[in-house]
Amino acid sequence: MLEVDRSTPPTLYWHGERFRLERLPEGSRVIYAPEPIDPLEDPSAAIRQALRSPLGDKDPLPALLRAGMKLTIAFDDISLPLPPMERPDIRQLVIEQVLDMAAEAGVDDVELIVALALHRRMTEPELRHALGDRIYDAFAPNGLLTQHDAEDPDALVHLGQTDHGEDVEINKRAAESDLLVYVNINLVAMDGGHKSVATGLASYKSLRHHHNPQTMVQSRSFMDQHHSELHTSNWRMGRLIADHVNVFQIETNLNNDAFPPAFSFLQKREWEWSVKDRLAYLGASKALDRTPAKYARQIFHSVKAPHRMTAVQAGEVEAVHAVTTDNVWKQQGVTVEGQTDILSMGLPYISPYNVNSILNPILVACLGLGYFFNMYRGKPLVREGGVVIMSHPTPWEFNPVHHPSYIDFFEQVLSETTDPVEVAKGFEESFATDPWYIHLYRTGHAYHGVHPFYMWYWCAHALQHLGGVIIVGGDPAAVHRLGFRVASTMADALEMATDIVGPSPTLTHVHTPPILMSDVQ
Amino acid sequence: MTTNHGSSRSLLKPRAVRADAALGTTTRSRAAATLKRLSPTDVASWAGRRRFPLAAPSWPETVPRPAPEHELGIDYDTDWSRKYPVRLARAMLTDNLTRPLARVIADPLVRGDEYLANLDAPVIFAANHTSHIDTPLLMTCLPLRFRHRTVVAAAADYFFDRRWKADLFAFSLAAIPIERNKVNRRSAQLAIDLVEDGWNLIIYPEGGRSPDGWGQIYRGGAAYLSVRTARPVVPVHLQGTGHILPKGGKGIRRTRTTVTFGTPLFPDEGEDARRFGVRIESAVATLADETTTDWWTARRRAVMGTTPALQGPDVAAWRRSWALPPATSSFGSDGAEWPRRIDWPRRTGSPSQ
Amino acid sequence: MKALVFERNLPRFAASRVASVFGSGRGAGIGPLQFLDALPPDVPGDDWFHLRPLLSGICGSDLATLDGRSSRYFEDIVSFPFVPGHEVVGVLEDGGVDHAGTPLAPGTRAVVEPVLGCAPRQIQPPCPQCGTGHYGLCENLAFGDLSPGLQTGFCADTGGGWSAAGLVAHRSQLHSVPERFTDEDAVIVEPTACAVHAALSGGIQPDDTVAVVGAGTLGLATIAALHHLVRPTTACTLVAGAKHPHQRRVAEALGADTVVPPDQLARAVRRQAGSLVLAGRLTGGADVVFDCVGSSESLTQSLAMVRPRGRVVVVGMPAKVSVDLAPLWHRELTLVGAYAYDRESPASPEGEPRRTFEVAIDLVAEADLGSLVSAAYPLDRYEEAIVHAGAAGRRGAVKVVFDLRNRKGHHR
Repeated sequence: MLEVDRSTPPTLYWHGERFRLERLPEGSRVIYAPEPIDPLEDPSAAIRQALRSPLGDKDPLPALLRAGMKLTIAFDDISLPLPPMERPDIRQLVIEQVLDMAAEAGVDDVELIVALALHRRMTEPELRHALGDRIYDAFAPNGLLTQHDAEDPDALVHLGQTDHGEDVEINKRAAESDLLVYVNINLVAMDGGHKSVATGLASYKSLRHHHNPQTMVQSRSFMDQHHSELHTSNWRMGRLIADHVNVFQIETNLNNDAFPPAFSFLQKREWEWSVKDRLAYLGASKALDRTPAKYARQIFHSVKAPHRMTAVQAGEVEAVHAVTTDNVWKQQGVTVEGQTDILSMGLPYISPYNVNSILNPILVACLGLGYFFNMYRGKPLVREGGVVIMSHPTPWEFNPVHHPSYIDFFEQVLSETTDPVEVAKGFEESFATDPWYIHLYRTGHAYHGVHPFYMWYWCAHALQHLGGVIIVGGDPAAVHRLGFRVASTMADALEMATDIVGPSPTLTHVHTPPILMSDVQ
Repeated sequence: MTTNHGSSRSLLKPRAVRADAALGTTTRSRAAATLKRLSPTDVASWAGRRRFPLAAPSWPETVPRPAPEHELGIDYDTDWSRKYPVRLARAMLTDNLTRPLARVIADPLVRGDEYLANLDAPVIFAANHTSHIDTPLLMTCLPLRFRHRTVVAAAADYFFDRRWKADLFAFSLAAIPIERNKVNRRSAQLAIDLVEDGWNLIIYPEGGRSPDGWGQIYRGGAAYLSVRTARPVVPVHLQGTGHILPKGGKGIRRTRTTVTFGTPLFPDEGEDARRFGVRIESAVATLADETTTDWWTARRRAVMGTTPALQGPDVAAWRRSWALPPATSSFGSDGAEWPRRIDWPRRTGSPSQ
Repeated sequence: MKALVFERNLPRFAASRVASVFGSGRGAGIGPLQFLDALPPDVPGDDWFHLRPLLSGICGSDLATLDGRSSRYFEDIVSFPFVPGHEVVGVLEDGGVDHAGTPLAPGTRAVVEPVLGCAPRQIQPPCPQCGTGHYGLCENLAFGDLSPGLQTGFCADTGGGWSAAGLVAHRSQLHSVPERFTDEDAVIVEPTACAVHAALSGGIQPDDTVAVVGAGTLGLATIAALHHLVRPTTACTLVAGAKHPHQRRVAEALGADTVVPPDQLARAVRRQAGSLVLAGRLTGGADVVFDCVGSSESLTQSLAMVRPRGRVVVVGMPAKVSVDLAPLWHRELTLVGAYAYDRESPASPEGEPRRTFEVAIDLVAEADLGSLVSAAYPLDRYEEAIVHAGAAGRRGAVKVVFDLRNRKGHHR
């Protein structure tokens, strides 16, 4: 946390695949993430230890494994962690240990499932990266490594309804296993818990009960499990699932060491930049300014994060998740005094839904208003009726392979209305059942037809709360389609913001990456 | 020390004799052509007199000779090969010549190198050994962090028996001499010192190349060094190199190879070198199993104790050859690629515009 | 009095062809079009009227002719030198009776139905087409009393709308304009009639999805015709592609349900029809597609988004195009042209067939299509006017016309 004064150097903003340095007005606050926590010395030993001494009401994993049983291992998809981590990925480390124990116990019937819900299917290189070549080569050719298919009626089973009348329909293989091991990477506080199985392995029929504007508006925020309707609903479903399926939850924490040494300046406060950091910044930003966005994107998406594991917990879902969430807060939590009139943020090139892809305008909105805005506990960083200023080029560009329904959503839905409730009422059904999107989701690498709606619902809380949204340096046509305003410079944006929040407003800037969570007092 | 002294002397002697004889012949022929009246001895003494201040003096027979500066075999001093300029030159050679060459000849598929990502140097790489190509191949497949700070334990009696060989291997592969048939304190101490000094070590626990493609009895060197230095052993399996340049074979055949790194093994508390050695051997055996089946099968067979032994079946020689896995699709053969790459079903058209 | 005259002059043809590379209409000044003194044409017979033009539109086919992009197909059904201009509203200088026998007083405002069929050519008996009321498809366009010419504005004997000297029209060609019409409303009747004819020949069934490619005058008028004349009985859904923002606004105002830029049209149709996509084309798609452009690209696009056994109606004038007809064969598509105007079947069985122009006059009133006229130029600024018409969409215009009402201010 820093109060800007006259001697404060300009503040670094991400701007998509580029960077900006902006001098913030005196008196502005800049929130920085805490330092990375020291990683575990020996992750494999820690994983073994966690599996052998589980939390909550669960037997150690070796005791749950026996010959002749049906074991399913589900794991998080490409959306975690961000950026993708250097090899070996945590999923590989954990699953290798689980399989080692399964081998020792003589388990034959083992299947691995990517818990991708309505996300796109992962490609082979992505799976190889997440699981390692060994697991991939051992399971994929035999059809034992599958990707969850929320549109295959034969691969789903309806477990019943919660006391709130919510359908619980999840992956059949997972539901019919003697043991379901779920391997999480808990990058932010939203991840994990009952949400892992209840969302990751669910169908549209089940998801629509909590992925809707009403729920999202009542999730304040969805990063704070105890005040999140999204989580309450998932917890109801998770408890119902726990009655039918023996779930062994494994959750892992990462430190926030998100960028390799070449980008070390991203991890530091500006006044701490050494000569080397300044040169790296100048070199990188000048080079990127001259690189076409397409190639800059390729460069950035090839960056692998030196994330290291800081903790691993295993056992019963709720006991595990409580510890994990604490750990996330230890790494990312920052206490902030009071709300602000204007919240500013620099949006990077990546969000959970565009790994190896394009951050399209809908994802820009979702990253800023869905994720960064919701990174709070207590009350939002920005006051009701305040303004969010985001920095991103927001090009009118989509990846047609990954985001086909986003294109139509942007062209045909947002041109009609940007109100999440109207959007849901008027269009969700037809997108969710469109056979072409379903085909692409099931056989290609496309997000489900309804996914852009979820992205828009993610913004619902912010859209309701805010007085205005301004995107600095955005493509005017795309920004207007989103229903936001566009400014060419930060100064212009601040000027425009005063129209909404009144003169001499307070400004808070969230300096990311690394990710941080604000505990607003 | 005395035995060493003696052996080096016996090695050097023939050289001295040959040199003398050569000098004799050349001078003799020249003398015969030009100065017929002078006897060969006269000429020799004249030349010796004239040359002494410039040339080295002759050694009096009665005075015992000290050990020569450059010993061979186990006593060959490889210090020079780890000096900075030599390392630099070797790095250039490895990266610009050896590595591309290894790519062309062996086309290695490297698996499991991610296990090395979070591993601190130094480590001991314990690999199976079927071919001379093993060392350059393994060396060039190591991650950059390890590659230029790795020494190779090489048989003192094979690679260090001639001065030129000793120099060549010490320079090009950072080889250090090691006694393979018995534990030699000096060579073991050198390896320990180097590991403790931060050098990674490649060692072949079998003690030499396999004569027939199957593994040989594992010796305790790798386990001993690991226990002594408390550094991890990374089991490595090299598959296919035997087809490129088998022991006793002539010429090089291009073949695809697989270099598989296993998870690092640490000696357990109180574990002795012998038992640790068994673990290393079974780890390599599992890796070998993995290259022909898959990781999961190999894991399960390892647990059940049904991993095929590295040494192969104890039967007649032809049957041992018969049971060897075939060459993994050498170039230009039927093209069956390994490992099989399974594509996800891809029936989609590209979305409209 | 001045007139724009199109002469047969090969070097000038070539010059305008080259100049048109830099934009449609760019070659007007150096092309075969000349700004000359001209006399009113002589009346060829008894049933002919002298007409003094008030407004005269610049049509896409005029631009194609000026640019030298027009098909050589038309070579023998035009006669040189001719005065262009077939979208004409004018004032009668003589009196008489029109084709229905209604008396026409001098000074009456009338629009010209420009096709020069058997009736103006005094051919008896008329050809089978004219005999059955399909005047637009007359077989005798090069024969009879007149020089060859498919329409007024392409014939040496009749004159055309781009002339202050006026033109002559046969009584069968005249439709008097309602009093309440402005001149702008009247001048848009001729293109509207084309659109009406196309829309009513589309064979649209109830609940069909209909796509309109192109949003120039013809495209917009087609949308209006579909919305007002076809939709009430079929409840069809209208999806339109329009390149320019003002075209999108107008298209929406005229009744299109979804209006998107042309590159998004296939996606919009796909969403509407709920079909899949294969190799860049829709597996299902729109039931009827109206191609109001007529280029290779628009035809290819239309064929890629029509359903099997669907219908593509070519409304815009094509020339030599290059189109892969494999889908036409494989999907049993109907590719059909829609030219000009004749008589339209009634909406209800008990009604009488009506002349397309009469339907169009009603539609212009109903949909206020006169507002499509966005710029008017005096004749002497013809180069500017033609360049403006060539870039109409880009410059925020729809229909550009010549204004001949205020002759005194400009000439003599």
